[in-house]
Amino acid sequence: MRIVATDCGSTTTKAILIEEKDGVFRQTFRGEAPTTVEEPFADVTLGVANSVTELQELSGYKLIADDGTIIRRKNASDPDGCDLYISTSSAGGGLQMMVAGVVREMTAESAKRAALGAGAIVMDTIASNDRRKPHEQIQRIRELRPDMVLVSGGTDGGDTKKVIEIAELIAPARPRPRFGGEYKLPLIFAGNKEARPTIQRVFSGEGFALSVVDNLRPTLERENLGPARERIHDVFLEHVMAHAPGYDKLMTWANAPIMPTPGAVGDILQTIAKGRGINVVGVDIGGATTDMFSVFGGVFNRTVSANLGMSYSISNVCAETGMDNVLRWVHLDMDERELRNRVKNKMIRPTTIPQTLEALVFEQAVSREALRLAYIQHKSFATTLKGVQQQRTVGDAFSQKEAGGSLVDNMALDLMVASGGVLSHAPRMEQTALMMIDAFEPEGFTELAKDSIFMMPHLGVLASVNPRAAMEVFEKDCLVVLGWCIAPRGEVRAGRPAFDFTLRRTNEVVAQGQLIGGEMRLVRFGHGEVGMLEVRPERGLDMGAGPGEPVTREVRGGTVGIVLDARGRPLKLPTSAVERRACVERWLKALEVYE
Amino acid sequence: MVWTETANRWQILSIAFILSVIAQGSFGAIATTAENTTENKLSTSSNVSLNELSQEVTAPPAALTITGADVPWDAGGVIKVSWQPVAGTTSATKWIVEGSEVVEAGQGPWILVTEVPIAETSAVASKLNVDSAYFFRVTAVSPNGSSAVTMTKTAVRGHWNFFIGAKMPLFCAILFVCGCVIYFILAARRGQPMKVRRIAALEAIKDAVGRATEMGRSILFVPGIQDMDNIQTVAGLTVLGNVSRTAAEYDAAIEVPTSRSLVMEAAREAVQASYLAAGRADAYNADSIRYITDEQFGFVAYVSGRMVREKPAACFYMGCFFAESLILAETGNSIGAIQIAGTAESSQLPFFVAACDYTLIGEEFMAASAYLSGEPDQIGSLKGQDLSKAIAAILIIIGVVLATGAAIAPQSVLPAALQWLKGMLGS
Repeated sequence: MRIVATDCGSTTTKAILIEEKDGVFRQTFRGEAPTTVEEPFADVTLGVANSVTELQELSGYKLIADDGTIIRRKNASDPDGCDLYISTSSAGGGLQMMVAGVVREMTAESAKRAALGAGAIVMDTIASNDRRKPHEQIQRIRELRPDMVLVSGGTDGGDTKKVIEIAELIAPARPRPRFGGEYKLPLIFAGNKEARPTIQRVFSGEGFALSVVDNLRPTLERENLGPARERIHDVFLEHVMAHAPGYDKLMTWANAPIMPTPGAVGDILQTIAKGRGINVVGVDIGGATTDMFSVFGGVFNRTVSANLGMSYSISNVCAETGMDNVLRWVHLDMDERELRNRVKNKMIRPTTIPQTLEALVFEQAVSREALRLAYIQHKSFATTLKGVQQQRTVGDAFSQKEAGGSLVDNMALDLMVASGGVLSHAPRMEQTALMMIDAFEPEGFTELAKDSIFMMPHLGVLASVNPRAAMEVFEKDCLVVLGWCIAPRGEVRAGRPAFDFTLRRTNEVVAQGQLIGGEMRLVRFGHGEVGMLEVRPERGLDMGAGPGEPVTREVRGGTVGIVLDARGRPLKLPTSAVERRACVERWLKALEVYE
Repeated sequence: MVWTETANRWQILSIAFILSVIAQGSFGAIATTAENTTENKLSTSSNVSLNELSQEVTAPPAALTITGADVPWDAGGVIKVSWQPVAGTTSATKWIVEGSEVVEAGQGPWILVTEVPIAETSAVASKLNVDSAYFFRVTAVSPNGSSAVTMTKTAVRGHWNFFIGAKMPLFCAILFVCGCVIYFILAARRGQPMKVRRIAALEAIKDAVGRATEMGRSILFVPGIQDMDNIQTVAGLTVLGNVSRTAAEYDAAIEVPTSRSLVMEAAREAVQASYLAAGRADAYNADSIRYITDEQFGFVAYVSGRMVREKPAACFYMGCFFAESLILAETGNSIGAIQIAGTAESSQLPFFVAACDYTLIGEEFMAASAYLSGEPDQIGSLKGQDLSKAIAAILIIIGVVLATGAAIAPQSVLPAALQWLKGMLGS
């Protein structure tokens, strides 16, 4: 079987070729070409054809016909063409949505979750308690130019008054869509079913293409995001893509619906988490935004941190976290004024890459803060449902937990996948590993990996038509396993033992020793190697089995190896600048980050 | 046997009497001493024993002098009576102290103040009328009879004092608590961050009101069944202010049944003020806050019936509750409402904890006002009180350890340490 997959980004269209050889699916070739969605070409298929042509040249298979279309194989012995063509798209800024609900923390949040999970960027969330006056809300709706609107509100049989009030704010405001004057703005209603007749009446006028799906919150105890997400995908294809240049043709080529790129990344992570029964966090740090994905206990969440990125948004990262926080990761003596200039230069020349070690160290310090802030935002969004009745016993008298607690638990995290320029293209894999460890502070045993060539979007769509192929390529070609991070939860005492470890491969002891509080150590354990790591933490430190309890787990080797981190969690750096710099330098040396 | 002993005693007394007569010189002198004991003077120790032996035939000697003095640093009505006993040994067993109030026509009747062992030389007469004058007298009592009375020469008054000295430790404690409160208030005003731990029940107010909004149902708030003179009712109404403000912002309906008319009035004012603050004065409905009945179970019957019929999405029970707590909480649970309770009635807390989603326990309930408002003055006050409570808790632990240790090892220094601690705390 031969599969061609493309991802039409804003600037480049990436194509990959996946082939089944000896019963195993592998990604074999990769091609890239500029995206042609903008003028003067205004046809996305040209870019697709160019990128597939590169695949054709590299592989030797004829994949593009003379008329520029992708050739399909008639049978397995056919030497030319492919069996399957799939594509994702984030060209033109991807899918941009406005969502609305009655209570910001309940139905409006569910609407936001549905939109983000479908791969959209949420431009704004309108709610009856968003502390804005109706005229301010109307003004905001008029200013936005979304591709689509999702309205929720009320449980089934619950409130209709507020839902209709929200609808009556949106209808007369008549938000204008991004594409074309004749384009009817798609509006999906996923609220109280009893409000449907009134909603249909309110949006019956021209300018809206209303579709109704099942309620996102039929009861407050249950969130039903599936129908709304599917409808968003459909509307994305029917309305948004149909109005984008060349997408009507591209849709006829594809064997599976074209998906928004982040939605496809979410799908592959969910497939992996479900297939391996693990909890996963994925991050894609870009120039303007940072996407975070997580699957904990089978619940998928995605957030887009719109102002955290490494080029267009780098200035915002520095402003939000403060230069002191950025510089705490730097072991070199740097002039703050010069660094500020460097930040602004990066913002106005986003494609530049660091030319000196100092510039690289600084950029990676900024990335740590961008990732850290994005993760904090993600943790506050990926929560259990709010407004749910709790069941208590007398034993809960002093431990009454609030509803809406974060689902993200670093101790339960099994796999962390990184992608995005600063992480994927770091000169050394050790740098990628340390950036992830410093920003996310994983606890217990966590596998670190990076997406080799940002293949996850392709695999996300592939998972919908051939899950086995998607899984195999993900494991073998997509993920570059960096290694494992072993870090206890709890406060360590400097100079006192933190934990002992023994790494065995079959019966042979590969490495063993003791880590002192505040120390980091790297144990090289090559790609493909498998061993059993036993960690015995000191009293008060938790490796996942409880404070002081030893843990033994299987670990796989990677490009970096096993990073033993005895800095404690939450991670605390010395307050004195001199001590901190010395400390960071020690860690960098221990992990051979810049050597 | 009995007869022999009595005969011997009489023989000894007779000899003693004869010797005493020889020593004193005359029978008249002996008589004078017996009648005027306040003037009694003894020259030598041998004379004393002879004298006493002679007197013990009938009665013990009377006290030499007696004085009364106001006890300082007290609330008045307390006089300390002191007397000087006759030197030497005596067979008297106790002193009887009596007092007599000075009334217009002269002295009133003598009333027993106290009886003290013969070894004591003072007694405290308490519960006297403040600023009334009193005479006191003492009488020594032996198995053979009573001595002559010795009376104070002048009347004494038990004055009211501005400061009660026995309360000094308490005064110091109050100074410390007030100092802490003032310090933390000033610190909070300066902007010093004051961490108050998250109280799940108060954080859940928005969830509960939001649930009511999404479900299109009302919010029920019960401010207990006691009147405004109960501090828990006042604390409950403070929470009501916050709940109603959130309800106004979310445009959710709130219902407040009360079992006291005064509480109804206070609740109306609190809710109205909240609606005004939220900019939704038009949405305020006074009729939703109503008086039901003073009768405990009449009130409960109404509220339970209302809950079953109207099915509010959120129920708040904040105030003083008794037997009705479980009835209300179970009814609310059965209709699927989010329930948040708060009370300082420890006997009702288990019921609320088991049947409600969130419960404010005792002090949490009282701290709700500071927590919800976030005002520096209230937060600082809360912090100051917490520090004082922490010190009180430490003292209790020390006291328990010392008392236990003193019971186990009475010969050690622990009993003395315990007494010192008790004395320091004014108990």
